[in-house]
Amino acid sequence: MILIAFVLVSVLSLVIIAFARNHRQMNSVCIGQALIFTTLTAYLVVFQQVPVVSFLIDSQYFFIDHLGLFEVLIATLIFTCAAVYARGYVEGLLKSGELEKGSLKLFYVAWTLLLLVIVLAFISDNLALFWIFAELTTIISAMLIAILSARENIDAAIKYIFVASVSMLFTFAGFIFLFEMSRVSLGTGTLNWTVLMQHATTFPPGMMIASFALVFIGLAAKSGIFPFHTWLPEAHAKAPSAVSAILSGVLLNVGIYGIIRMYAITHQSTAVVTVAPMLTIFGVLTIGIAALSMLPQKNLKKLVAFSSVENMGILLVGLAISTPVSVFWVLFHIMAHSFTKASLFFSSGILHRQYRSRFVSDAADEIKDVFRLQPLAAWGIILGGLAIIGMPPFPLFFSEFFILLQLGTVSLWVLAAMLLLLFISAVALGYFVLMNFTSVSEPEAQTDIEQYRTPASMKVPIIFLLVLLLVIGIFLPSGITGFINQIVTELNF
Amino acid sequence: MIEQVTIEGIIRILFVCVIITAAYIISTRNLLSVVSVYALQSLTLVCMALALYFLEGSVVLLAIAGVTFISKVIIIPYFIATIQEKIRIKRDIEFHYLSPTTSLLISMILMLVIYMALSRIVVGSPSRENLFFFGAVLGISLMLMGMMVTFSRKRAITKVLGFLSMENGVLLFGMFVTELPFIIEFLIIIDLIILVILTTILSVGIDSTLEDYHKRLHRFHLLDDSEEVI
Repeated sequence: MILIAFVLVSVLSLVIIAFARNHRQMNSVCIGQALIFTTLTAYLVVFQQVPVVSFLIDSQYFFIDHLGLFEVLIATLIFTCAAVYARGYVEGLLKSGELEKGSLKLFYVAWTLLLLVIVLAFISDNLALFWIFAELTTIISAMLIAILSARENIDAAIKYIFVASVSMLFTFAGFIFLFEMSRVSLGTGTLNWTVLMQHATTFPPGMMIASFALVFIGLAAKSGIFPFHTWLPEAHAKAPSAVSAILSGVLLNVGIYGIIRMYAITHQSTAVVTVAPMLTIFGVLTIGIAALSMLPQKNLKKLVAFSSVENMGILLVGLAISTPVSVFWVLFHIMAHSFTKASLFFSSGILHRQYRSRFVSDAADEIKDVFRLQPLAAWGIILGGLAIIGMPPFPLFFSEFFILLQLGTVSLWVLAAMLLLLFISAVALGYFVLMNFTSVSEPEAQTDIEQYRTPASMKVPIIFLLVLLLVIGIFLPSGITGFINQIVTELNF
Repeated sequence: MIEQVTIEGIIRILFVCVIITAAYIISTRNLLSVVSVYALQSLTLVCMALALYFLEGSVVLLAIAGVTFISKVIIIPYFIATIQEKIRIKRDIEFHYLSPTTSLLISMILMLVIYMALSRIVVGSPSRENLFFFGAVLGISLMLMGMMVTFSRKRAITKVLGFLSMENGVLLFGMFVTELPFIIEFLIIIDLIILVILTTILSVGIDSTLEDYHKRLHRFHLLDDSEEVI
C-alpha cells in the first residue's frame, strides 16, 4: 500500500499543479507532497516492522530496508525544507525575470516528479530498476537546472546530462557482468540486491572486480567523485538555490547509496582486497582536488559545491576502511552532510538574491555590508561553514573524527594526507568568509545597495536545519544511532 | 532451417559492419550522414538480434529486435533529423581535443586493450565461446568509441549521437554476454528516448546562433511541456 500511496500522492499533486493558476498554489502543492511523503516515511520508521512487507514491496522489484528508509527520510526532509524555501525564492526569480512565467508549471512538475523518482530509486530492490530511476533523476534534475532562461544554465545542464548518463552506461555494463555471474552460480540470472547479497560469496573475484569498477564509474559520476566531478560545481552553482540544495543534499546521496550497496556485495567476496584500496585512492584524490579548487575560489556557490565534492571523498575513504564502526560513521556523515549542505545553499541563495546585480557568473562575489543587509544569511553561512568543516558540537565533527580515527588504524600516511587536505578546505572556507563578510562600505556610500526583503519562508528552513543539526550533534539521539546500527548489520559489515 | 555455421558467418559479417559504422561516426563531419549511419548501425544490431534468435531461439531476442527497430531505426533518427533541419547545421567541424585521425588510432588501441583485459577476466567461465567473446569485446569497444565522440565533439547534437552509439554498445554487450530480461531492455529504451528528446531540445538552445536564441527558447518551452505528458 505504501508504494501506491507514494505514487498516488504524486499523481494527485501533478494534476493539481496542472490546474493551478498561480505560483502560490503550485508551491503549496509541492510543500504538501513533501510533507505527506515525510509523514509516510516517519510512520514507516516508527510503527512498521522493517523490512516492510506490503503490496509490491518485498516483491522482486521493490523493498524497504533500513538503509533505503534512512535515505528516503533524509530526502523527504530536505525536499520539505526546499519546497518551503522555494516559496520565497522562486517568487524572487519571477520578479527579476530570471524565471519566465511560462516555465513555472514545468518547474513544479519536474520538482514533483523528482521527489517521486528519488524515493522509488531508494526503495527498488532490482539493481536495473535502481539504474533506471537514477537515470531519470539525472534527466529531471537537469531540467530543473536548465529552467532559468540563461545560456550558462543550459550549458551546465547539458554537461551534467552527458557526464552522468555516459558514465551510467558503464554502470549498466557492470550490472550485466553481475547478472552473468549470478546466472553462472545460481542457474537463473538475477539483479535483485537481496539475492545477490546472499550469494555474493560464490562469485569469482576477477569478474567481481571488473563489475565493481564499471558500476563505480557511473555512480561516481552521479556523486561527483574525481575524475567525474567536472559537471558538479557548474551545475550546483548555476541551478536555482532551492534546486542546488536538493542536488547536493539528496541527489549526491543517490550515487553514494548505489556505491554502498555495490560495495556491500563486493565486501562478501574476496574481491574486496583489491577494491578497498581503489576506493581509498579515489577518495583521497577527490578530497585533494576539491580542497585545492576551493582555495582560490571567489564564488560562494561554487565554493560550497566543491565542499560537497570533498565530503563525497571523505565518504569513500570511510567506506573503504570497511569496519562496522567506519561504515556507521559514513552513514551518519551522509545524513549530517545533507542537512548542512542544504542549509548552506539556502543561505547562499539569500545572498545571491541580495547581490545578484553584482553576481556575474564565475566572477568574484562582491559582498558588502552583509551583516547590515542580510544578518541571518551571514550567520547561516558562518554556522553552516563551521558545521561543514567539522567543528564541534555539529554532527559532522563526530563523523569526521571517528572516520579519521579508524583510518589511523589502517594507514597513518593516508591519515596525514587527509588531515592536511581537510585543513586546506577549512582554510579556504574561512578565508572566503573573512574576506567577504568583513568588507563594509563607507557610511555615505551605503545607499546604493537596496536591501532585499527576505521572505520568512526563506528564513525558516535555514533556522530549522541548523537547530536540527545542533540537536543531533549535542544529544546524538539514540533513535538515530540505533537505526544506523541496524543498517550496518543489514549490510553485513 | 539455416545452418549454424552460416549464421555464425553472418554474425561475423555484421560485426565488421558495426566496426565500420562506428569508425564512420567518429570521423565524419557531415551531420546528416552521421544520423543515417547511426540508423544503419542500429539496423545492424537488429539483424544481429535476429541471427542470435535463430541460433538460440529465445523469444526475448525477437522482442529486443522489434523494439530496437521501432525506436532506434525509425523514431530517434527521424526526430534528430527534424531537429537538425530546424537549427540548420549541416557540418560539425569543431573538435575539442581529438582530431578524427587520432581518435581512430586510439579506438584501435582501445579495442586491443579491451580484448586483452576481457580475455583475462573471463578465463574459465563458460561464456568464453569465440563468437560471444567477440561480441562482448565489440560491445565495450563501441561504448568507448561512442564516449570519444561524446567528449571530442563540440556540438551538443553530435554528442547525443555519440551517446546513442554508446548505448548501442551496451545493447551489443548485453546481447552477447547474457540474456537480460526483456523488461530491462524496454525500460532502457524509454529512458533513452526521454534523454534524447531533452538533450536535443536543450541543444537547440546551445547550437543556434545567439540572435535567435531567445526566440528558439520560447519554442522549446512549448516542446518541453508536451514532452512531460509522455
